[in-house]
Amino acid sequence: MTKEIEHVIEVEHLTKRYGALLAVNDLSFTVRRGEVFAFLGANGAGKTTTVEIIETIRTPTSGKVCLFGLDVTKKKREFIHRIGVLPQGFNSFDRITVRETLQYYARLFGCRNADLDGLIALADLKDKTHEQFHKLSGGLKQRLGIAVALVNDPEVVFLDEPTTGLDPHARREVWAVLLDLKNKGKTIFLTTHYMEEAEFLADRVAILSKGRIVALDSPGHLTESHANYLVLTLQAVEERASEIIRKMGFAPVQDNHRNIKVRLERADDVQKILNAIQASGATFRGLDVRKPNLEEVFLSLTGEAGREDHAGGWGAE
Amino acid sequence: MNLRVIGANLVVDIKSFYREKTAVFFRIAFPVILILVFGTIFMDKDDLSFDLCVQDLDQTKSSAQLVQTLTGSDRFKITTIAPDLNAAQYAKDHKLNLILGIPAGFEKSLMQKMIIADPDASFALTVVYDPSASAVTTKMQVLDAMLAVANQKLSGKPPFLHLVKTSILAKKYRFIEFFIPGIIAMAVMTSCLFGAVNVNAELRQKGVLRKLATTPITHTDWILSNILYQFLLAALATVVILLVSYAVFHVRLQINAWLPVFVVLDVFAFVGFGMILTRVAREAESAAAAANAFMFPMMFLSGTFFPVEMMPGFLQKFARILPLYYVNEGLRASMVSADNTAALGYAAVIGVFAAVVFVLGIMTTTLNEDRT
Repeated sequence: MTKEIEHVIEVEHLTKRYGALLAVNDLSFTVRRGEVFAFLGANGAGKTTTVEIIETIRTPTSGKVCLFGLDVTKKKREFIHRIGVLPQGFNSFDRITVRETLQYYARLFGCRNADLDGLIALADLKDKTHEQFHKLSGGLKQRLGIAVALVNDPEVVFLDEPTTGLDPHARREVWAVLLDLKNKGKTIFLTTHYMEEAEFLADRVAILSKGRIVALDSPGHLTESHANYLVLTLQAVEERASEIIRKMGFAPVQDNHRNIKVRLERADDVQKILNAIQASGATFRGLDVRKPNLEEVFLSLTGEAGREDHAGGWGAE
Repeated sequence: MNLRVIGANLVVDIKSFYREKTAVFFRIAFPVILILVFGTIFMDKDDLSFDLCVQDLDQTKSSAQLVQTLTGSDRFKITTIAPDLNAAQYAKDHKLNLILGIPAGFEKSLMQKMIIADPDASFALTVVYDPSASAVTTKMQVLDAMLAVANQKLSGKPPFLHLVKTSILAKKYRFIEFFIPGIIAMAVMTSCLFGAVNVNAELRQKGVLRKLATTPITHTDWILSNILYQFLLAALATVVILLVSYAVFHVRLQINAWLPVFVVLDVFAFVGFGMILTRVAREAESAAAAANAFMFPMMFLSGTFFPVEMMPGFLQKFARILPLYYVNEGLRASMVSADNTAALGYAAVIGVFAAVVFVLGIMTTTLNEDRT
């Protein structure tokens, strides 16, 4: 009982094969009650397959998955009322309105007193209540999907790529909804490939690569333990500055806007570089020194960095 | 089985149906249009009347009487053209496919035949015709039949061989009354086949089934609600078809317990068949194409539009392996000839087929992603 309260999701040695393809490779992790747990990985890393096994959409090849201490392959009926799911690319019946869609799912769950108006307000769909599903934009569909996932007031909410395809404004609106859910004590299992999203929302992040978890910790700890360096950015700098920095033994990377990025292992290297540039008489418009974010951690852990341009990698959002 | 869940699905299905205008057209209006079109074309097949142009070059009382006889037969609507015109040119200019000519000397030859009783006397009527026109052959057959009757009357003796017709049916039925059961069978088949394909392929492709797999709805609830929805649509289509047939064509059909039996078997057979097709072709487009590939041969070869007996022998054998043939024949046996024994036989065949494909359909349909 204590274990159930502590860990709402327990995954042990989970493996999933599609023929010769090993999609999920011996995964083990737990998710604690009330936390926001994020699965971070590139397309094809095994995020959706794993989460769909937990959600009972797929069956595992081997291993054990428990929700609320119940085996998901055998006890679906006992826990299905306690979870809410937003599948990847949520879709519904084309000719059914927003309100009718919520009514439909509420009836499936037997929730006679579901607060449909509250859910519509939560998803900011008041103006679209009577709009048929096929007339909604991608962002509105996704917001309706989140409302549908909450129609049974679940204890655990699975959100698979909830903000994919949304514009930055809509994405932040969804984040606000998720933070509200977190404050209400819901456990949220988030699957995303947006580093910023995971960093902003998640208490813990599992980084997946080729079906395996390569790191699992809080975003802060991951950054500290896997990317213990600084990134110095000099804006609109003169070209000769690059040469000066290179001669100092660093590896500057310049982009098309004459910005230079330099990875530094020690904080006092910043002052050394600035002094050297000043001494040469080269000018720059501005500078920025920051710790690396989750994206750099992700790239270094998943081995993707080699394929990326360093400047693009460090500077990308 | 959860009635609340089945009810929720039915509400969604019904709302989706009446809000989708093309679905309403193809499932309800299209069969009705077929009935109206074919019913109108073949409504009075026994009393078909053709246009016939006659050029009387004899201009006598006897030739006028012949024209009058043709007019009075009700098989032809006669128009006459002037004797001084070139018949062939007139036919071309006025796009006529047949002109009957009564050459000069008709009355004289007729008198010779009747007064002198010359057994060798004969007279040739001429026809100018367009061999490319499809109606010409039928027109000439009708004309030949009428001339044969006239010749026999002129001989003054009754024909030695003649037909006495006895229908095996209690009443005289028209083409439309044979046609309606076929249209009911076809309408139910197309509705169920495409309904099953749409539900199972399109909703799967769009990910709706994936979402439903994370709700309390079970495999059984899902299939039962689909079957119930298809049955409601089939019942609606059947009622509309019958109402239109009775109202417009005043059909006389036997409506008895066999009608719902065959409609239910039709629903189970083709919903099951649709579910299997979806298993074979999982993309919505390819599943719809596969449904068409099965549906069209069945529509045209199983006796929906014309009797199977009109087809070559090998096609007749092929027709008898098509499930729709047994629904067509079963509905006709019950609605037209009121032959319970025959209806039972056809029901047994389609019942076995429905049971097999429906069980296979259930086995191949699931909300879960891996098992399909």
